[in-house]
Amino acid sequence: MNFSERIFCGKLSSEHIGKTVQLCGWVDAYRDHGGLLFIHLRDRSGIVQIIFSPETSSENICKMAATLRTEYCIAVTGEVKKRIPGTENPNIETGALEVFVRELSVLSESEALPFPISDKAMVAGAEDASVENVSEDLRLQYRYLDIRRPAMQENLFFRHKIFQCVREFLDKRGFVEVETPMLTASTPEGARDYLVPSRVHPGNFYALPQSPQLFKQLLMIGGLERYFQLARCFRDEDLRPDRQPEFTQLDIEASFIDEEFLYELIEELTVKMFAVAGIELPRPFPRMTYAEAMDSTGSDRPDLRFGLRFVDVTNVFGNTNYSIFKQILQRGGCIRGINVKQQSAKLSKNVLQNEYAKEIAPSFGAKGMTWMRAEGGKLESNIVQFFSAAELDELKKRFEVQDGDVLIMVADPSDAIVTQALGQLRLHLANRLGLIDEKIFYPVWITHFPLFEPTDEGGVTSSHHPFTAPERVDFDPKNVEELLSLRSRAYDLVINGEELGGGSIRINNREVQRKIFAALGLTQEEMKEKFGFFLRAFDFGAPPHGGLALGMDRAVSMILRTQSIREVIAFPKNRSAGCPLTGAPAGVKKEQLAELGLLNLGGKNILPGEAQKETLLDRVSWVSRIGIAKEERSVMEEVLREAQKLAAEVNNLPVDDEPIRSVVDAAGIARPGLTAKKSELAEKGQLLKSAPAVKGNYFKVANILE
Amino acid sequence: MDSVFFYRNNIKAASRSGALQKIKIALQPNISVAGWPTETGSNALAGFKALENATVAEHAVKAGAQLIGYTRMSEFGFGLKNSMAGSVLQKKAADVELVLDLAGEARLAALRAGVCGFKPRYGLLSRFGLAGLIPSMEAISILSMSIKNIRGILQAVAGADERDSSMPEGKTPDLKPTKIDPKKIKIGVIKDILREMPANERESFEKKLNELEKAGFAVKELSFPDFSQFLAVHQIVGSVEASSCAGRYDSVRYGKREPQAKNWNEMYLSSRGAAFGTLLKSYLIQGAYFQFESYAAYENACRLRARLVAQMKNLTAQADFIILPAVNQAASENPATLAETYTQFIYTAFANVTGQPVLFLPDKSGAGFQFTAARLGDGQLLSLGEYLQGGGEK
Repeated sequence: MNFSERIFCGKLSSEHIGKTVQLCGWVDAYRDHGGLLFIHLRDRSGIVQIIFSPETSSENICKMAATLRTEYCIAVTGEVKKRIPGTENPNIETGALEVFVRELSVLSESEALPFPISDKAMVAGAEDASVENVSEDLRLQYRYLDIRRPAMQENLFFRHKIFQCVREFLDKRGFVEVETPMLTASTPEGARDYLVPSRVHPGNFYALPQSPQLFKQLLMIGGLERYFQLARCFRDEDLRPDRQPEFTQLDIEASFIDEEFLYELIEELTVKMFAVAGIELPRPFPRMTYAEAMDSTGSDRPDLRFGLRFVDVTNVFGNTNYSIFKQILQRGGCIRGINVKQQSAKLSKNVLQNEYAKEIAPSFGAKGMTWMRAEGGKLESNIVQFFSAAELDELKKRFEVQDGDVLIMVADPSDAIVTQALGQLRLHLANRLGLIDEKIFYPVWITHFPLFEPTDEGGVTSSHHPFTAPERVDFDPKNVEELLSLRSRAYDLVINGEELGGGSIRINNREVQRKIFAALGLTQEEMKEKFGFFLRAFDFGAPPHGGLALGMDRAVSMILRTQSIREVIAFPKNRSAGCPLTGAPAGVKKEQLAELGLLNLGGKNILPGEAQKETLLDRVSWVSRIGIAKEERSVMEEVLREAQKLAAEVNNLPVDDEPIRSVVDAAGIARPGLTAKKSELAEKGQLLKSAPAVKGNYFKVANILE
Repeated sequence: MDSVFFYRNNIKAASRSGALQKIKIALQPNISVAGWPTETGSNALAGFKALENATVAEHAVKAGAQLIGYTRMSEFGFGLKNSMAGSVLQKKAADVELVLDLAGEARLAALRAGVCGFKPRYGLLSRFGLAGLIPSMEAISILSMSIKNIRGILQAVAGADERDSSMPEGKTPDLKPTKIDPKKIKIGVIKDILREMPANERESFEKKLNELEKAGFAVKELSFPDFSQFLAVHQIVGSVEASSCAGRYDSVRYGKREPQAKNWNEMYLSSRGAAFGTLLKSYLIQGAYFQFESYAAYENACRLRARLVAQMKNLTAQADFIILPAVNQAASENPATLAETYTQFIYTAFANVTGQPVLFLPDKSGAGFQFTAARLGDGQLLSLGEYLQGGGEK
């Protein structure tokens, strides 16, 4: 077969009318009109209708055409004609044309499909099919078929365009794309590593990079000045619905620059990326300090598409008689609130008290929630009588209350609980009340992050990573209070409440770096052991530098407004971090493990076979979901040894009788004359009586995911 | 009596009438009685109160019997640890006690108390409302000093129940007494069991055989070389069914939930880990092993079960009744482990595997013997019992 004359289906236009063309692709859909066969032929570029008619196609071709089924891969040659007026199909771009086939080759047949691929109706007005009801795991198992769907193709096409735009832009700005290694050393910071065993060095491991952080800084020390990479990164973290164990980030680092350089660069880049899909982002992006973000929205990645900013009203209640507030303030607590403007119609007393105060706020960690509704110039609620007129007046002023407003307040001795609970309430209210305009994008830079966070042991740990530059360097590494007040030169780019990326200006001064390590409580030896090779590089004239990483899967997903990031990744892992297509992760042969020296890892003192036995009990305990306490282990191990013996015994007895599961022919539940009926006990809620936890009319269980 | 009863019913029914109107029944807390703490001797059902009556309890009450309370039981009735079954009869506080028989527990409890114990054939009594453990083998069994009472209870509670889908179809069987004429009756004895018995046990067993012969019965030796396989088949199939059956104790619908589980899986692991005692857990872990790690062994055990059932059917066709010992004197009286627990049931587990009826009769010697018959021979077996106890139709 010669494909040299091939034209893309979607590229056919009126200028081809009357010409003979060769088309290739897949049978998207077909319609048989008794002798006249219509087929939607689909390739990457689009769909065109081809027709097999006894008038234009030979009898043989018509016969062959009758055997065509969806997703057969075919090549045809035929004449392009304009459709008779009134028969055009507005669902497809080539809807005004059709091709009368003269030659047909079936290149490859297809079996019945696990889910429909075609999503374009063949006639005007008919409904498009969709894969919404297909389970995602089935789509992932047959991802190659899923990718045939135009919607998936478009996602991958736009992903490519956005990546191209990034490369082109950064190239113009003098950035060099450099690849850093995938097989590297495990660093003790951050999330869990994916490890790769080394055959040549038994018992030793490479780690897949969580980010090219150290390498990109070494490239700066190497004098490359401006670097970027669309880097694949790996993190073995706990499962979250929209998290991938491997992901692509745009990694950027530059020397002799400051924050302003990066803000300008990234803003322009982000604007260009969004423009690929026709989305305009306004520049400059607003900036907010970490403290402002936390104080006004309770989040360091605030969604600013809607208002509902916090107002601190702690000092309104300095002399209050309301005992709950009084006690909280005596314990050094605070009171913050939100004015939900003009929503009292949707937030009835019942909803506020029974849903928000009793259920929703406690589920966000608040011990309680106070609400007030503004009506007729007055604030009213179930507890308003406990407040003085002056307090209520002051509230009206602070919250700029008008009739129809609803005030939501959270008070707690812990500032963190107030912030956290009110922040979640803010999002909950916005979603429930439909306050979020899905059409807009609201980027914001979050700056001035704390350099350190407190640890449970009374020390500090890096909020970002230990190479982040502090805002000032004259600190005392032993003074924990001072350390916790330090701000860093780190910044995050947040859009619509999602962190798209983040970075920092790095430390390039040896002394400052040592001070930071000292603050983290690392000794000289530990520093050397953990970061020796990296610190050594700073002994040779490191330039000032900084950078940033952007999560590209999330960015593309946001730009294309897809349901999940898996829609913009060709072969993603599912929600359980597995790949239904390849079956990864999968067991390996013992020989493979032996070759890698992994059979008896974890200690040379374990007797042969001991390690395996341990896993048998763990495995059985896991599949049967029965926890085994430490002191029970030896009993259970013995019980398993007995079971193995018993199994061997019966497996040695030759029997060929048909196995039985019961000694009687049970009637079964499908006994004739019986009809299914709902148990009265279920209907009256009696079945819930013995349950340890109940919510409403349901049994309550722990979260399925963490 | 506190040591015997787990729960006592103090509510007296106003007036009772019917075949069982003078009968006081004690139950184990695995047979549901509405409002009673049906806790099955396990943390897995701690605090659980039954919502409605089990079919057997319902039938018994309808026939006029008085349900007096729950006696203490082993966890889910497996083995006899912590079980007080039988004591209530010894102390004459009840006329009848219903005891679950998983591998021979009811018969050994009867032996311990010196009373009669009857395990009916599988499928004769409804298991609806029973919190059981081994669905294809377990049988609610009846303990009493008097076989007449046993027959009375059986007649009142036996029969098809549309709420127990594991029961066979068919009419309620005739359980009326039949005439026993020793001269026409062959009692079989399995020589393979006899051969393996220690000398002193064998001696008392042979003494019993002599007695029977003196009474006019014909004693016939039968051959069953594979008899010893019953125990292994019981343990494999039983543990698999138990592990699957206990899957429902998940701290969602009943039981206690361990706090602080981060997610669903952890909730299961920790709550179920805390719900079961060591002996039962051992059994469930073995069952999980056969199910998930060695399924072929389970499948093979089911094949063996088919063969043993066929062989037993063949054997019961060669004699009217078969006599067997009940107690394995080599076994520990207070078994601590799963293996020790199973050795108690060497002579009893067969009937749970095949589903045939067995009657345990106590003996002056303080021991006692099991009599069994073909699968549908419940009625005749009780008649034999009545005859041997001296109260039956001659």
